[in-house]
This record gives sequence, C-alpha cells and structure tokens, in this order.
Amino acid sequence: MTTSEVSFNRKIISEDLSNVEFDTSEDVEVIPTFDSMGLRDELLRGIYTYGFEKPSAIQQRSIQPIVKGRDVIAQAQSGTGKTATFSISILQSLDTTLRETQVLVLSPTRELATQIQKVILALGDFMNVQCHACIGGTNLGEDIRKLDYGQHVVSGTPGRVFDMIRRRVLRTRSIKMLVLDEADEMLNKGFKEQIYDVYRYLPPATQVVLISATLPHEILEMTSKFMTDPIRILVKRDELTLEGIKQFFVAVEREEWKFDTLCDLYDTLTITQAVIFCNTKRKVDWLTQKMQEANFTVSSMHGDMPQKERDNIMKEFRSGQSRVLITTDVWARGIDVQQVSLVINYDLPNNRELYIHRIGRSGRFGRKGVAINFVKSDDIRILRDIEQYYSTQIDEMPMNVADLI
Amino acid sequence: MDDRSTKKITFNKSILLSLKAEVLKKQEEVLEKKQLPQHRIENYKPPKVEKQCLDKSKENQKCFKDSLKAVDTDELEACRKSKLALEKKAELYEHLSDRTGNSLLAERFLVDFNGKKQNESMKPLHKNECENDAVTNIDNEDDNEWIEFTDCLGRTRKCLKSDLELYKKRDKELLRVITKGEEDEATEVPDKPEKPFLVQKTNDYLQSLREKWEQKEKELLAKDKDVHYQDLLFDEARMHGVGYYSFSTDETERQKQMDELMKQRQETLRAQKEAEERKKKRDELLAARVAAARARQRARAGLPPEEPQKNEKDFTTCLLEFLTQQKNEADNKAKEEEKRIREEQEKERQKLREAYVREWDLGKEGMEEKVKKFRELTQEEYVEQQRSKRIDEFAPPQQCSRKNASSVFDEKGKMVSSDRNTTISKTWADVRPKTPPPPVIESVEESPKGLFFTTKKVDVKYKNFVKAPEPNPIVNEVSDDENSNGEGRQKPNKRKSDVVSKEIPPPPTYDYYGPVTKQSKVKKPFSSDLREAFTQGAKSLEPKVSNRQLSKNYDFTFD
Repeated sequence: MTTSEVSFNRKIISEDLSNVEFDTSEDVEVIPTFDSMGLRDELLRGIYTYGFEKPSAIQQRSIQPIVKGRDVIAQAQSGTGKTATFSISILQSLDTTLRETQVLVLSPTRELATQIQKVILALGDFMNVQCHACIGGTNLGEDIRKLDYGQHVVSGTPGRVFDMIRRRVLRTRSIKMLVLDEADEMLNKGFKEQIYDVYRYLPPATQVVLISATLPHEILEMTSKFMTDPIRILVKRDELTLEGIKQFFVAVEREEWKFDTLCDLYDTLTITQAVIFCNTKRKVDWLTQKMQEANFTVSSMHGDMPQKERDNIMKEFRSGQSRVLITTDVWARGIDVQQVSLVINYDLPNNRELYIHRIGRSGRFGRKGVAINFVKSDDIRILRDIEQYYSTQIDEMPMNVADLI
Repeated sequence: MDDRSTKKITFNKSILLSLKAEVLKKQEEVLEKKQLPQHRIENYKPPKVEKQCLDKSKENQKCFKDSLKAVDTDELEACRKSKLALEKKAELYEHLSDRTGNSLLAERFLVDFNGKKQNESMKPLHKNECENDAVTNIDNEDDNEWIEFTDCLGRTRKCLKSDLELYKKRDKELLRVITKGEEDEATEVPDKPEKPFLVQKTNDYLQSLREKWEQKEKELLAKDKDVHYQDLLFDEARMHGVGYYSFSTDETERQKQMDELMKQRQETLRAQKEAEERKKKRDELLAARVAAARARQRARAGLPPEEPQKNEKDFTTCLLEFLTQQKNEADNKAKEEEKRIREEQEKERQKLREAYVREWDLGKEGMEEKVKKFRELTQEEYVEQQRSKRIDEFAPPQQCSRKNASSVFDEKGKMVSSDRNTTISKTWADVRPKTPPPPVIESVEESPKGLFFTTKKVDVKYKNFVKAPEPNPIVNEVSDDENSNGEGRQKPNKRKSDVVSKEIPPPPTYDYYGPVTKQSKVKKPFSSDLREAFTQGAKSLEPKVSNRQLSKNYDFTFD
C-alpha cells in the first residue's frame, strides 16, 4: 500500500506543471490552402461559398491534426476563424451516412452554441449535414424530437446537453469527438463540473479539441486529465491583441460622466454597429433605460431575459436593424457579427481574459475595429496592467475616433 | 411708426429733421420694394415661420444634447453664466414692457418697450395663423382694402378684405382635398417630442420583422425534415463568398436547385476540359505547320531535311542530367528515410497514446482491461499473481497460505531470538504480504546444503520469486545498483528508508544492506542474525542478474 501511495505521489509530483512553459508543438504542419488540405469536395464548396478564400494561420495549422484524430489545443486571436477551424475539421471527419451524433460541441452561452450550429450548417450546406443546437431556455419536447430525428453534430450548452444525455435522448455511443469552444471558460470553476459530467458519458479516449483565444496556464496544466498527448497550437500573450483593433480610453472623474460621454459618442456608435459592455445585468438595464429616455435608440441583452427576447435581440442585431447593443459578458465570447466595429467597455472587465474577448467582438476576420474603455481615475491602473500584460497600446481617445471606424 | 414714441428725448431740431427725412426715405423704399416684387418679400415669410416651429423642437433637443455634452467644467460654468445673464435680461425686459414709459429705467434704453408691447398684442393672431399653416394677415398701411394672406401651399396672395372669408374657405377646401397626407403629418407633428417619428417607424418595422421571424421559426419547428443554413439565417446581414447561393427553404425546391448547381458544375468541368484539349490540339497543329514551313524553307535553300528531333545531347548536359538525377535520388532516399523514421516514431507514440489512460476515463466501461494492463499492481496483487503462475513443485515446503508463512517466520524468529520476536512479530506480519517469507529461503538453504547446484537453482527460483513481487521502480533501481557495485548499493537503500519509514534510521553495518532489498521494516528481524543475513545477501547477488532483467522489462512496459 505504501509503495503504491508513494508512486502515486510521485506521479502527481511529476505532473506538477506549474513551472512548465507550454509551447506550440514542434511537428505542426502548415498547409497554406484549403485545396491542399485534402478536404472533401462538398465541404470545400461550402467553405468557399461561406466566404473563406485562404485559411487563416490557425486554420492552416489545426485542421489537419484534428482531422487526423489527434487531440488538439488550439489558440488564436479573436476573430481569426477558430469556429470555422473546428467546424471544418468536424465536417471532414463526419460520416454523413450514419445518422447518429458523432460530434459534440460545447460552448458557454446559448447564443454561441446557436452561432456554431449555424456555421456548421453553412459550411456543410452541400454535405447535407444535420446539426442541432441543444440549448437551455427552449422547449424540451422540441429538443427531444430534433435529437430523435438524428443529428450528426450537436452544438450546445453543458446543462441541456447533460440533461439530454441523462434522458438517453442524446446517445453518446457514436460520439468520437468532443469540442470545447471557449475552453478556458468551459474548464473554469463554474463549468468544469458540468463538463466532467458530460465527459463521463462519452466513450473512453474520445478525441478532445480545446479552442479559445485565451488559454491560461492553469487550464493547460489540467488537460492531461481528459486529453492524450495533445498537439498544442498556442499564441504568446504579447501577440494576442490584434493590430486591426485600435484601443483607447476616456478618462472620467466620476461614474456619472460616463453616461454623458456615451451620449456624445452616440453618433460615432451608429456609424456601423457597436457593443457596449457593462459588468452587471442591472447596470445594463439602467443604462438602457437612461439612453432611451434621452431619445437614443439602443437595444440590450443579458442573461436574465427570457430566451425568446434574447433570440429576437440577437436577430435584430445580426440583421443590422439595431445598431447599438448594451450587454453583459454573456456577449463577450465568440459572438460574431461582422459589422461590429466599435466596442465600448462602459465598465472595465473583471479579468484580463475577458478584455481580450470583449474587444474581440469588433475587428472580425481582418476588419478594422475600435475599442474604447471608460475609466475612472482608479481604473487607469487596471488598464495599464492589461496594457502591459498583453504588450499592447491603449491611448487616450483622439477627437477623430470616428475616422478609425 | 415713430410717431407713437412716447419717450421724450431732447434733440436738436436739425437732427430730428434729418432723422425724419431718413425715416421717410426708408419707408418709401420699403413701399417701393413691396409693390414691385411683391411676392418675393412675402414668399420668404412662410418658410421662415415654419422653420421657427420646427427649430423650437430641434432646439429643445439640441439644448438637451448640449447640456449632456458639456463635459468640461469650464464650459458648464460658462453655460450657466450665460443662462443667468439671459434670465436677468428677460426679467428686465419684462419689467420694462410691463410698465408704461414713465419708468425711470425705461429712459435709459433706446428701445421702446411700450410700443413693443402693443405690437406683441397682435402676435397671438399671427401665431395662430402660423399654426393653421394657412393665412397670414398683414396690415397694409396704404390701402386698407387690400389684404395679403398665405394660402395652404405657402403662396402669398392679395385680396380685398371683404373677399377674405371666401378665399379662406376655398383654401380650406383645397387643403382638405389635395393634401390629405400632409394633414396626417400635421397631426403627427405634435407627437414628435414624445416619440420621434423615425423611432416609431423603426419600431413598427422591427415589430413586423419579429413577426416574420416568429412565423419562420414556427415553420422550422413544424418542419420534420432536414434543417439547413437558409432556415436559420433570419435576415442576417452577412457577407458571403462570391459563390454563395441562397437555397430555398423548401426541401424539394432546394433539392432541385442543388441538382441544378451540380449539373452546371459538371458542365463547367467538362467545358474546361474540352477547352484545354482544344488548345492542346491547336498548339500541336501550329507546331506541325511551323515545322513544315521550316522544312520547305530548307528544301528551297537546298539543305537536307532536318532530322525530326535532336536526340543526341552533348556530353556535358548528359552528365549534368545524370548527376542531378543521382542527387535527386539520394535526396529522395534521405527524405524517405526521414519520413520512415518519423512514421516509426509516430507509430510508437501512437501506441503510447493508445495505452494512455486519462484520469477522467477511469471507471468507464471497457477501461478495466486497459487499466489492468497499465496500473502498477500492489504488492499483494503481484504476489498473488506470481503464485498463481508458480509450478506447485517449487512451492515452499510449508503451505503457502499467509498464516502458515507467518507461522514459519515465527518459528524462525524463535530460533533466532525469542525476545525480539515478541516485539517485532506484529510488524513482520504487517510487512509480510509485501515480502516473501525469509524463513523459506532459510530452510532451502539450510537443509540441502550439500546439493550445491540444485539447491542453488531452487534458490534462484525462490530469489526470483522473492524479488519479483516488487514491481515498483524503486526496488528495480536498487537491484541495478546492487549489481554494479557495492558503493552504489548504499544509495538506493538509504533513499528507500527515507521514503518508507523515516522513523527507523538505517542500520550502521555495511554488510547488513547487501541481502535485504525490502523496506527497512523487513530488516529488523534479520538484524538479529547478521551472519545469516550476510550469507543470504552474498548469494542473492548472483540471481539478481536475471532478476534485474526481468524487472527491467517490466519497467519498460510501464514507462
């Protein structure tokens, strides 16, 4: 007994990776075109019609290993095509003749899960792929019906997916790949348990793919628990901010002045589309009301709204009918609306990772973007920390900010 | 107008006269202008009036926005000051216009406030007309019979006072008949401040959109067939690739479109191929024609016909080709070799990956075997496993059960020293499952001492048996070291004692370490008989060669 204990301890010690620096794996091949990736014809057609012409850096590196069946940890800057990366890989490794769930994609928010479903359906439009968004806040019966119909891919949020698995509506025996989008969020305290629960139902040694723009060290440390010798494609944190997104701050002395500043900026906001982040749902409600009282057209969205309303707001924003969205961090990760070119941090985010994700709502796939941070005097320290951490530049907002959008 | 002034201002007569003359001149000018381009002057008026109306609401908005905009403290302060000043002024004017001209204050100003007040009394009427957007009454000093008014279209018209009512009536009718839409707008104008027209309109539009989406969603839910991208698009403003084609949401229609697309694609491919072939043929033809022409030219020049192709190449090019070919071959070989090595490595890694057991997978169906293959057995399990494999003949003379074994030990312990045994027996019993019973070895050694070879072999077996149950790497390392030399032997033992039980300090005698490869706890009983331990240790040296190899294999698979 003692010996086994000792050896167990030794194992643990040998896996103490807190001082290990994770790097991109050495044997990562770079494939410069979609054509040379050996993808199926229908999928290629889907890729080109969706608007991709040349694979982005992450796509050049990650698609191949995922298709080969390796476990992959992929990190890339926001808006550089991560969702498409795993979507393409999924579609390539699907057997469409088998009408069973083969891939499970989990993401932290319902909107993101729905978006992923859309991307998979778009890219696989010529493959006749079936992908279902299995998310909370929707009709259970419908979910069951759709799953019974037979879905190749299920993109969902952990809670509802686990529910469906437990009810044996979502059969896991054919699942060969698990994708965790926004992996660091999914493996954070709030979600980890749920992910574990789902994972326990998957066949052993299921291929696992982790994707995120931010992958803190502690997340990388724990991956050996559910991944086998993963290929890592990582980005140094000083390369994590995009050149195309210009970052500014507006210093205000008092919280109340943030509102005035926002009103002044309103004309700039509506040049294309803008997202305004607050830290709490209550503040979102408050700010929305105040803006509307001042005759500004804004819409808002947060997690306490009924799903129906959230859906409608999303549709309005995606269709360009509403141009200014006030929201919480529910919108911080992954949501892709091409026309968003301005992000305002009405409150500074609670951690460094969120900053990257928030400003990443603008400047999608090579477009230009502007991020404006409203900072009170005591917030400037936090902003400087972010600036230093990512080796980026956050200047005071110039007068001609509208020209940059 | 100047006649009305009630103010007494003392002036020179000449100044007064010249002023009067000036005023008269101006009046005349005005009259002239009024009569000649009559409509032009008045034409400016209606839009001006309208603008004023609009401006008011706009100004209100602007004021609000401006107040919001005032971020700068200085600016705010300035705003406040000017507002105060304006308010003061307004108060003063009010005061002046309230009182009749005899006020002391009034004398200080050149403006005739009293007159202003009288003028203002006419204004309400004027305002009304502005709101009605129909008529403007203007007094004409010269001919009172004529009156000017602005009709609903903004035109200024002139008529006799008596006819005004008639014209007004007509105008109203015109307004009603022609501009019903404008009327609507007019009614909506007062709504503006509370809900801007644009907002209202966009809200309506959004509502209709929402309804449309709802409808679509219902259809989608009702749809028992496949769901496609087009079903979920919901008017999303997204840039697609040039090849994007928005399929129908109807399944059969979609299939048709898809087939059509496929057909067209096939056609394109075929056309491309054909074009290429055609081009190739043309090139060939062209080349043949050129060759024929050249041949003709040569024939005309009296030269012999050209050989069809220059097959011979000169020596150097041949050599070069040969060399490059060789080089390429070598390169290819090297590449292949490299690839092969990498593939082999990859295969090995793949094997390792396949054998790897994830922590989160433990306990899943089908994992037991994999785990068994891999997990380090506990000492007991390993002993049991080895026992099951053992040929009965080689079993120890006494029964193999644990109880017996311990009793054997007891016997042995008694033999060595009874007093120690009493204190240590318990520890030994604890340790026993992990370590084979030393007395068994003892007995083998003791009884058939004469049969050197045979006993030794048996001994080896036993030793194997004894050593083997320790699959953990620590022991293996020890056996390695033991084999190499005596110095090295000390280290692992020391470490082991550190690890396993720190409370027992390592025994001082060097010999003591040799034979015992078990935990220091085990050593205790042996310490009672050093000599025996020594001989045992000396003998154990040899068999451990094989033992080590075995364990090494074992290790290998583990890593």
